[in-house]
Amino acid sequence: MIYRALQALDEKREFPKARAHCDVPCGIYDPITAQIDALTVVRMMDLMTSLEENAGDKGVEYSNSMSRYVAVKEEHAEKAKHEIRVIWGDYIKAQHLETFPELGEIVHNIMQLGSKCRQTADREAGTQLVDAVNQFAEIFWKTKNVPTKKANAPYAPALEMVYPDL
Amino acid sequence: MIRVLKVTGESLYPLYKEGDFVIVSKIPFVLNRLKKGDVIVFKHSLHGTMIKLIKEINQTGDKLQVVGTQEKSIDSRQFGEIDRGSISGKVIMHVRNPNFKKLY
Repeated sequence: MIYRALQALDEKREFPKARAHCDVPCGIYDPITAQIDALTVVRMMDLMTSLEENAGDKGVEYSNSMSRYVAVKEEHAEKAKHEIRVIWGDYIKAQHLETFPELGEIVHNIMQLGSKCRQTADREAGTQLVDAVNQFAEIFWKTKNVPTKKANAPYAPALEMVYPDL
Repeated sequence: MIRVLKVTGESLYPLYKEGDFVIVSKIPFVLNRLKKGDVIVFKHSLHGTMIKLIKEINQTGDKLQVVGTQEKSIDSRQFGEIDRGSISGKVIMHVRNPNFKKLY
């Protein structure tokens, strides 16, 4: 009752804010970088498989390309983990975990899948990483009251992604 | 002597949450009634109007250490003591945001 009255007044003539700040309040967080990293991992796995199947004599060119695909796969699997850790550590708060108690398990899953994608060329692990990061993104946008939509990425490997529906 | 302010941020969670209103007054501390554990609103040169808990008051009563309840709170651990003169008021009434969960 009192809250509603104050809220109505606040909407008409905004009350000053009393800031209860945490960390540097930059507020710029977006899981899209982790989503693109996860997608890149699957793309590299596909390129590795294609090269393996189509290479004739496996000479120096083959070794060069394969090494580069593996290096990029490594880098982006680690970047996906890093980006999620930053949002987890700096943005996610106790009240988010109260509302979305499954978040801890999703983040742990991303860490493990990211490592598996570095250790292996298992495409199934790659698509699971994309799915897990998408689950994280969906919850992240819910914490900001931003609706989301699902659409296939407009580039190979064209997996289904979660995007903010702005 | 009485002001209404809206809380933003999570530094005092779960005592104070995003969207709560606080009514602050200068009267209690004009009468020298500030004590450890009180929640005060004060002006900080870098961070603007802030709301924090009083952790310590020095012997002369003119400097205070303020803290949040979260590990990452920006408080006296970063910016040191505050002057008593920077205090806008002590919270005398707290109106909780009933929609808090829906915000997240």
